[in-house]
Amino acid sequence: MKKTIFASISMIFMLSLFLVACGGGTDAPDQTGGDQDTAEQQPVGDPQYGGNMILGTSGEPVILNPLYHTDSASADITDLVFAGLMQTNENLEMEPLVAKTQPEISEDGLEWTYELNEGILFHDGAELTAEDVVFTYNVFIHEDTTSPRAGDFRSLVNVEALDEYTVKFTLAEPDAAFATRVTYGILPKHLLEDIPVADLEDYREFNMQNPIGTGPFKFVSWTSGQNLVLEANEEYFEGRPYLDNVTFRFASDSNALVLLLETGDIHHMIAPTSEIGTIELYDHVNLHSTLALRYDYLGWNLDRPLFEDKRVRQAITHAIDRQELVETIMEGNAEVAHAPVSPLSWAYNDDVPKFEYDVEKAKQLLADAGWEPGSDGILEKDGERLSFTILSNSGNVTRRDIGIITQQYLREVGIEVKPEQMEWGAFLDQINPPNFDFDGVVMAWGLATDPNPRAIWHSDQIENGLNRSAYRNDEVDRIADENTLVMDQAERAAMLGDAFAIIAEEQPYTFLYYPYQFVALSKEVQGFTHHPRIDMYKVHEWWLNQ
Amino acid sequence: MTTYIIRRLIMMIPILFGISVISFAIMYAAPGKPTVMDLDPDISVEAREAQMERLGLNDPPHIQYINWMSNVVKGDFGTSFTKKQPVRDMIADRLPNTLILMIFSTILAIIVAIPFGVLSATKQYSKLDYGVTMTSFLGLATPNFWLGLMLIMLFSVQLGWTPVGGVSTLGADFSLLDRLHHLILPAIVLATADMAGLTRYTRSSMLEVVKQDYIRTARAKGFRESTVIYKHGLRNGLIPIITIFGLMLPTFIGGSVIVEQLFSWPGIGKLFIDATFERDYPVIMAITMFGAVLTVIGNLIADILYAVLDPRIEY
Repeated sequence: MKKTIFASISMIFMLSLFLVACGGGTDAPDQTGGDQDTAEQQPVGDPQYGGNMILGTSGEPVILNPLYHTDSASADITDLVFAGLMQTNENLEMEPLVAKTQPEISEDGLEWTYELNEGILFHDGAELTAEDVVFTYNVFIHEDTTSPRAGDFRSLVNVEALDEYTVKFTLAEPDAAFATRVTYGILPKHLLEDIPVADLEDYREFNMQNPIGTGPFKFVSWTSGQNLVLEANEEYFEGRPYLDNVTFRFASDSNALVLLLETGDIHHMIAPTSEIGTIELYDHVNLHSTLALRYDYLGWNLDRPLFEDKRVRQAITHAIDRQELVETIMEGNAEVAHAPVSPLSWAYNDDVPKFEYDVEKAKQLLADAGWEPGSDGILEKDGERLSFTILSNSGNVTRRDIGIITQQYLREVGIEVKPEQMEWGAFLDQINPPNFDFDGVVMAWGLATDPNPRAIWHSDQIENGLNRSAYRNDEVDRIADENTLVMDQAERAAMLGDAFAIIAEEQPYTFLYYPYQFVALSKEVQGFTHHPRIDMYKVHEWWLNQ
Repeated sequence: MTTYIIRRLIMMIPILFGISVISFAIMYAAPGKPTVMDLDPDISVEAREAQMERLGLNDPPHIQYINWMSNVVKGDFGTSFTKKQPVRDMIADRLPNTLILMIFSTILAIIVAIPFGVLSATKQYSKLDYGVTMTSFLGLATPNFWLGLMLIMLFSVQLGWTPVGGVSTLGADFSLLDRLHHLILPAIVLATADMAGLTRYTRSSMLEVVKQDYIRTARAKGFRESTVIYKHGLRNGLIPIITIFGLMLPTFIGGSVIVEQLFSWPGIGKLFIDATFERDYPVIMAITMFGAVLTVIGNLIADILYAVLDPRIEY
């Protein structure tokens, strides 16, 4: 009891300090976690049917159509209402869902044939057939499409139904990443075929008011700003969900969610790092953690003369004790990163150049690069001081602290750092094309299941893409262009491994860490599987021990 | 009087037009673009550009303003960039919640503030007066997010008497009692600052009035003290307070932002904050214009009420 009161009081002070700083964006939440699953195993009986599970969330969905959303709140709902041909399991392997088995891929890698399970029913009772799959994927390749995901299907030429339960995808060129693309929820053709593709995104009768899929839960109602209710799909093809209802309850921010968790009003929330200490004190809640499919980094602007020389970048990384940073700022809830690929990925390459904490080596590298100590102790070269700013988005305390700690580490080797913070929207505007107005930036990448580095590292992504560090390397470009043509995963992993090693050696980023992510779950909830990327994974197996 | 009102209403048009131009310009000049908020490496550059084109964000600012204005004149406030819903629906969904909260808290503020203000004035320098004065300064000085958190910790978390947030119990049928149960804490928090301010205004206004000759005359006529104060005094004392009400009307939108955030109250304030962070231009503009209209109308109502309450004022 004393502990609870203490936690409450300290939380109030935290809140009073940070309440004004509630901005942020899609990239902003910093979810991190502990070394292992802190959930206690307790003896439980057999799964029970029934109950209404309440999930607390601060994000309200935008559109309940799996082809059009770009936010995780919408994805959480569509993952429950719809089912795709395949799904990514918790080990990031592709598993058949609507499809019966793994695809049959032709010798040349151009034809992918999926066989479907029979007897899968949409929520309105109609059976899902190959025609529905063809309809869904034709939306992506239709010339009028407005789907933000259409880029995934650039190589797709044709989708056809071979018979009622067989679909064949034909590609223009082999695409190893195609396997991870067929996870989009299947839409019911019979309800949507009369809507022109250009208008499908705005078809609110389906997308907002009555989405119909084949997933484990049916849509019931959505009250803006308050809640969204789903009910069990009795006919779900993997078996009826144990839960009768799933309700998403919307609250303004994680502070409000923690209070709702404490009073038992919600069963589930994605717990941000800053709240872990508080949530750990609740007796009725388990904290689950797993490595997130993401890395946090300090990105350097290679177009600035200061960062042109890779020895300077390597020296900076040598000068920062990232293990210490993980222990202090992240309270141990992360692992030090060395390369732009997650250890969760099959393409992870551990054999990359590593720049461990070594102040002497850092000084040596800087001296080699021609930097000499100036009168004020800051390094100089040709009259220019080695001084720059590190930018992050305001409201994100972790990133602010990383800026400050970096400032202290780099002062040791004679580099002056000025940490700065900006409001999220203004921050993105400043670091993105065409402005590129930054020296260093604290950011993170949430990674896709497929490890292709193209979107972030290819030099043609500088002018208008996400390669805002302006990283250029011909070999990385070549691998980024060619790796998806290689169908053999081991061969492709070797190729990608080379690219990751090159990037790690050149240090366009100082790779900081792979964070853990936490889910706070009421002890009543059983059968939960923690997926590194999908929040609503196998929810039909969850049940309430009442 | 009627011509006065009509004249004022016509004058609103250029004022609102000016406000819309300035707000649009400021909003547009603020750094940050609506669509770069998506940082998903899975979304291609082409898709992002196609979206910019569809939303008309590639047009020069003055064309965007003209397009927006010509739709607004037709009563169409556009579609939210991020929520993909008609802005009018979004506001219509949220406005009742904000109004309920504001009206309830304003009534609460008035019920408490005016009697205490009057008492404090008529019994000037008494213990009651000092008590009321102290309490109102305390109320003015307390940040309402702090007060809100304290009340939540005490009544919702420790005692469990009130819900932590929201407008109604999840999944329950509509019930007035349930609504009031959810309303009470945010309304108290919101009323506190208004209450404190109003008490002070009422007190100083009444202090002026009770020194007037007509009050002495009323007393001399032998009226009961309560009649003197409440019938002759208060009616005159309220006139300056009416102005304050007129000016409070626009804060119906902005004033509740923090409380709405704190209590997860799905109102306009929260919508506005989210829209600002996401650079959701249509929503920002619609709410700004709504606030502008309320400000102008609030002023007009205050002026009209002057004339109603004070026969000496004529337009």
